[in-house]
Amino acid sequence: MTVLLLAWAVVQVYPIIFMFITSVKTDKQILNAPFALPDPLKFENYEIVWQGDRVAQPFSTFFINSFIITLGSLLILLFVAGLAGYSLARGRFPGNAATQQMFLLTLAVPVHVLIIPMYFFMGDLGLRNDHLGMMLVYATLGLPFTIILMRAYFLSFPHELEEAALLDGCSRFGAFIRVVVPVSRGAIASMAIINISWIWSELFFALVLLDQPQVRTLPLAVAGYRPVSMAAESVVGQQFAIMTLTALPLFVFYFLFQRQIRKGMTAGALR
Amino acid sequence: MEVDKADSTLKRRTAVASAGQSKGQRVGFWLRRNLIWYAFIAPAVIMLVMFMALPLIQSLELAFYEWNGLRPREYIALENFKDLFDDRFFWGALSHTLTFAVYSMVGTVGIGLLLAMAIARRVRGASIYRFIFYLPVMLPMAVTAALWVRMYEQNFGMLNVMLRSVGLAHLEGTWIASRETALGSVIAVAVWQFSGFPMIILLAAIENIPEDLHEAASLDGISESQRIWHLTLPLIRPVLISISVLQFIFSLKVFDLVWVMTLGGPAESTSVLGTFLYKEAFRKQEYGYASAVAVVMFVVIFTVTYVYQRLMRVEAVEF
Repeated sequence: MTVLLLAWAVVQVYPIIFMFITSVKTDKQILNAPFALPDPLKFENYEIVWQGDRVAQPFSTFFINSFIITLGSLLILLFVAGLAGYSLARGRFPGNAATQQMFLLTLAVPVHVLIIPMYFFMGDLGLRNDHLGMMLVYATLGLPFTIILMRAYFLSFPHELEEAALLDGCSRFGAFIRVVVPVSRGAIASMAIINISWIWSELFFALVLLDQPQVRTLPLAVAGYRPVSMAAESVVGQQFAIMTLTALPLFVFYFLFQRQIRKGMTAGALR
Repeated sequence: MEVDKADSTLKRRTAVASAGQSKGQRVGFWLRRNLIWYAFIAPAVIMLVMFMALPLIQSLELAFYEWNGLRPREYIALENFKDLFDDRFFWGALSHTLTFAVYSMVGTVGIGLLLAMAIARRVRGASIYRFIFYLPVMLPMAVTAALWVRMYEQNFGMLNVMLRSVGLAHLEGTWIASRETALGSVIAVAVWQFSGFPMIILLAAIENIPEDLHEAASLDGISESQRIWHLTLPLIRPVLISISVLQFIFSLKVFDLVWVMTLGGPAESTSVLGTFLYKEAFRKQEYGYASAVAVVMFVVIFTVTYVYQRLMRVEAVEF
């Protein structure tokens, strides 16, 4: 049993280690001694991709694009989903149940089917090749399940705190922002954690909606370094450097929040 | 639904206040009480309508037109669907999608179950295994795909070099480069990346089984394999079914892996619905035809997911 576990662990982790190792080798080393440890460590692959070379945009651009889009999408998503979840949990307005049903239904929509109309009207709105456009799309895709989870959370949130704030003359919105949100930091952070990795990794919508090189995100950069044949080109090391840089933030993130990530992923899978 | 105390007090006040007041004033109270909740939910509804409902409706509509994106579109009724029915590449994509979904579901859930049962026996380093097995799930799929393109490469790829070096040169393959093995190779990558996902869920389910059940079983002198078969598996069955369906639905939507690894090739042997749709729309500018593909995808995936939701009653995670 232990042998089986160990064997599978090697299968799982070796390709990832291989990726890291290869990214700090020269192309000559990669071809001649693919399994050898790098000697000496060469970080020039990283320098080249970070600054960009003759064919490619600087990687730093993609990195910043991805960072901005992920952060912006999250902020919009958390704010909008928080308000909506709160409304569904607290408000006893006509249409509450129907709205929840609608959100559940949107969970079942495969997002690929939205792409063609979206491509055109995002163009019409001037939101194609645009960070804001991408943020709105990602935030929307994350909304249904984040709202459902937020509602579940707010249902178990004690009323007393808000009531005190309301009696003190706070508006509903004021009570939400000043009382509910600060107390719910943990839940909101969990929502962020659930959503970060898929937004950071998203390829399909980015591929269609971002066709200008200067607005592209990391997954597009990775996909764009498509090899012709390994011997025919000398960008192998750079390609591995790009992959590593794309994966690294998520690895660090996983390292820091293991438990929350594994806990939240059941919910994420519903998307 | 839970009774909202703040609201009910407000309602009482409203009721007292509205006694003897005009209808207009009562509507005013009603509005004041509910308006804020509508305002809170409005941004979400607007975004979902704009970026989900409208595109969905337009997709359904566009499937009945022929359109290249430039000339005015032309209504052709069911022509797109008829063409789809006769398009062997569409049937190819559909069957590859189902093949991909079935095998990657069986692979990930099967391996995930084995791993979960192994770890649940309190092996040393259980938390390290758990960490490692979930690590690939965190990789962006584009990275996984690009990485495995390199692994599968014929001459210098890790897989073939490794086979050669351990004297198994006869097993060397062309993997994603030939029609016969390409789809299988892509499926293997999906299994490699995602088996950690069912593992975590199944492990949690196994660890939820009360300890005394195991103790009772071992007191009764039941063998390990009997215990797994008669105790563990029946108890985790709901979770097992649930995670299998989730994995299946998730795999039906495959795009990234295939796109980055093979673009659907060679000779369309790995083409799936996602890549087929993308190519028809954004390579061939057959937007109407591609929308018909989208409709088929929608019907298939929506139905499966909806039935799943109904059966499983999507439950929320507690914090």
